[in-house]
Amino acid sequence: MELFVQQLINGLTIGTIYALIALGYTMVYGIIQLINFAHGEVFMVGAYIGLTAITFFGFVSGSTLPMAMLYLAVMLLISMAGSGLLGIVIDQIAYRPIRNSPRLVALISAIGVSFVLQNAVMLIYGPQDQGVPQIVPDIHFIFGDVTITLMQIMILAVSLVLMVFLNFLVQHTQLGRAMRATSQDHKMARLVGINVNWIISLTFFIGSAMAAVGGVLFGLYYHTVNFHDGYLAGLKAFTAAVLGGIGNIPGAMVGGVLIGLAEGLGAGYISSEWKNVFAFVILVLILLFKPTGLFGERVADRA
Amino acid sequence: MNKTVSALSLFAILLFAAGCSKHDPVIRIGVSAPFTGDQASVGLTILRGTQLAVDQANAQGDVLPGYKIELVQIDDSHSPTQAVAAAKKFVSDPEVIGVVGHLNSSCTKPAAQIYHNARVAQITPASTNPEISKQGFDTFFRVCATDDLQGPKAAQFAFNELGARKVFIIDDKTTYGKGLSDEFAKAFIAQGGQVLGHQGITQGDKDFTPLLTKIRPMSPDLIFFGGLYPECSLIIKQARDLNIKAPVMGGDGIYDVTLIRLATPSASEGTYATMIGADVKALPQAQEFVKAYETKFGDVGSYSAYSYDAANILIQAIKLAGAPDREKVIQILKDGRTFPGILGQTEFDDRGDTKNKIVSVFRVRNGQWEHVRTV
Amino acid sequence: MIKKQGLGSGVQGPGRKYLFFWPLAFGLFLILPLIDHSAYHQDVLVTAGIYILLALGLNMIVGYAGLLNLGYAAFFGIGAYTCAGLNLAWHIPFWLALPVAVVVTGFFGFLVGLPVLRVKGDYLAIVTLGFGEIVRIVFNNLDPITGGPNGLLGIEHPVIFYPVFNPSLIWKRFDFGVSSFPYYYLVFFCVILVAYFSLRLDRSRIGRAWIAVREDEVAAGCMGIPVPQVKLLAFGVGSSIAGIAGSIFAAKQGTITPDSFDFILSVMILAMVVLGGMGSVPGVILGGLVLSILPELLREFSIYRMLIFGLVMILMMIFRPQGFLGNVRRKYELTTR
Repeated sequence: MELFVQQLINGLTIGTIYALIALGYTMVYGIIQLINFAHGEVFMVGAYIGLTAITFFGFVSGSTLPMAMLYLAVMLLISMAGSGLLGIVIDQIAYRPIRNSPRLVALISAIGVSFVLQNAVMLIYGPQDQGVPQIVPDIHFIFGDVTITLMQIMILAVSLVLMVFLNFLVQHTQLGRAMRATSQDHKMARLVGINVNWIISLTFFIGSAMAAVGGVLFGLYYHTVNFHDGYLAGLKAFTAAVLGGIGNIPGAMVGGVLIGLAEGLGAGYISSEWKNVFAFVILVLILLFKPTGLFGERVADRA
Repeated sequence: MNKTVSALSLFAILLFAAGCSKHDPVIRIGVSAPFTGDQASVGLTILRGTQLAVDQANAQGDVLPGYKIELVQIDDSHSPTQAVAAAKKFVSDPEVIGVVGHLNSSCTKPAAQIYHNARVAQITPASTNPEISKQGFDTFFRVCATDDLQGPKAAQFAFNELGARKVFIIDDKTTYGKGLSDEFAKAFIAQGGQVLGHQGITQGDKDFTPLLTKIRPMSPDLIFFGGLYPECSLIIKQARDLNIKAPVMGGDGIYDVTLIRLATPSASEGTYATMIGADVKALPQAQEFVKAYETKFGDVGSYSAYSYDAANILIQAIKLAGAPDREKVIQILKDGRTFPGILGQTEFDDRGDTKNKIVSVFRVRNGQWEHVRTV
Repeated sequence: MIKKQGLGSGVQGPGRKYLFFWPLAFGLFLILPLIDHSAYHQDVLVTAGIYILLALGLNMIVGYAGLLNLGYAAFFGIGAYTCAGLNLAWHIPFWLALPVAVVVTGFFGFLVGLPVLRVKGDYLAIVTLGFGEIVRIVFNNLDPITGGPNGLLGIEHPVIFYPVFNPSLIWKRFDFGVSSFPYYYLVFFCVILVAYFSLRLDRSRIGRAWIAVREDEVAAGCMGIPVPQVKLLAFGVGSSIAGIAGSIFAAKQGTITPDSFDFILSVMILAMVVLGGMGSVPGVILGGLVLSILPELLREFSIYRMLIFGLVMILMMIFRPQGFLGNVRRKYELTTR
């Protein structure tokens, strides 16, 4: 039983990070029906921006908890701003000019962006893993056989707060209403006076900022970042978004956590070799029985 | 359609143009390892070691009268398929006289066939799988000891010196990682130890907590890891986060300063690694190399010294051959001569393996790799 | 304009002006290895040819039938592993393993196509993506059969026997070996064959049914086209082409590893199809050629290679979203709307 709880905590931690990334996929898809393949790289860039920020401010390991919180907040804010802007720039350069072309064209362009980002980071920071300093104090809470680190609690807390905030923003504010309107029909949204292009940019900003939070937490959790990290994490987050029903924000959160849990429990109880397969098997199974994902409804049906 | 014609012809021209090269007399040495991708950091130590050797050789004047050495680098991205393609590209260039490569045993093995067919000498600085030299290719040489030596030595050390009786083994399923951990397991059981389990992981993965959580209740005395340091550092850190106290031990693939930085010095304290050959930093004859390398590229990495020696042996062989002749170079390497290097005297046996077979054990202490003993 | 939209008519017309182009290109590539002896160039072109085969196969699924497939590399892998496995386990020669691999790959295509009966659009794309990843991981983990991450080694190269009269009839043995030269002609032949097959298919009853389903599933159904069967067929036929490419790849390399069949490859092949022009056979061939030669040309830029490649991909899409040679039929449709 303790073992199970421990595996649950492990899965939940990585699951919430997937969920943060999945939000960006799902929001962008909801608004322009684009599978933004570069989003995984934005997540990775977010981790690097966070690392750079903390290096710049010269963080010293082993400071007190309040100082650590301050550093974390600085890291998150800078990374969110940087990645958010990057998201907007990517949209402006690579997607906006081909907004009216077949959707596959934008998909290929997105793949181009992903190559560019990956290699740009590799050239700037070098190909080796970069160590991320331990900002959150290395505190373990031990309950019998269950260990939970302060870092894990932070990840869960930060993610939860952000998701609640995002849900509030989309469901209960003027801005959120404009976003939902745009996602339903660009023309109609324009007719009722919504600046559609601005809303799209905003969506890219928010989605990328969420991924950046995921990136920073990912870096702090594993203590290393690599320019390669965006690929697999992005792929799984994307799976999570589809699992929850692409275009659906709560769906992405649930999907992310589910994927994380499936991985954690699968690797723990079945085999660690097959860890990466569980996410995809669950995806295929759920889509077969519920072809639009758990909470999804509409989806473009042409390539 | 006109555009098609022009595009096609443009590509045809470019393709031809790309193949044309300048025709100064030059001797080329190929170097191939992963220079991009998730193992680039390890692969680059090979590129840099080779580069240093070539630069130094050129600085001392012409290698052969009128000839300079030029390094040709091809990235194999630790993919056997790409390694074969790289090998084909090397052998199709008649000016390439020998090759230093590859890093991964899984790449070196299939590529060795290509070098053999084309009669090009290949010296691997890093592939330790014993099977490679059993393929019967006389063009294959290696300057590092093999896993059937390293694995048992590691097992002896773990059993006798560390007093480990129960181990859990993890490997990355590659030719290298699996080969090494299999040899370790065999020898460890032969000593009377107990292997609690043997599980594979995927290279490039980040999260090993599910596996480690499963290992924790078995309370092993030691966790042995067959693989490279990027995964190992994560395993160490995550094991400590899960409150697992057992030390982690690995082979030459985890002996890298980066491991300590990535796993944090406190978590990696007490990690053991076997390394083929002696401690480079402690060798008096290697001090010059260490200094030159550090000024040029920074910290000496896992295979910097091996690739430096491999490249130098190739250069010496070319000098002895007296001409840029592939076959002569192979014959000289096969000849049973000893080549001086910073890791000691290298002499190849009939299979092309080095006779300089020393295994050292290192331990992380105060955030540094410390030489424990040579076994 | 409406008349031109009639099925099959648009494809022939505009080609006439360039009557000499295709024979010229054909001739050039036919004699190229005889003029250019560089093993490297030949190797690049063989690889390009294999990619072109894949792009042609994917074109049937994505271009003709409009079903987005993001896991096509898996079929390439299944083809390669089938051919290699047959050869290693029972010494079945390449020429017999090839058709088996094609059938097996086609069967898997069919199997993966089954979800099309339920799953649509982008969800289908993700099911195929998931399938692709699962297949790659299975190759990676099923050590006893697939050799794990080290793959399968020592696959025999194709061998042919040809008669010589010297003075009596002797059958001489020719091993394809490791040089790229014989593979060049093998691939060249296959590309011509598959391209011809594609062109014929495009104008056949099935091809028209695919396009009808692509354009409007409901309308196609109403016209009496058995939509599910037609879609499944696209998956099956399109995938079996990957079986040809996979077999040649395995035989040529002599060694195959799971990482050769990753998601990036699926994406690259899709990029070839889109860049060349979806549904256009000449376009897809050109797209395959460009995208496989370009990274080689960029090797001069060493570590900047993939960065530049990515930029080129973005620019190509921005400035030529319809691909090099958009499908003629498709072009008419777009203008009449």
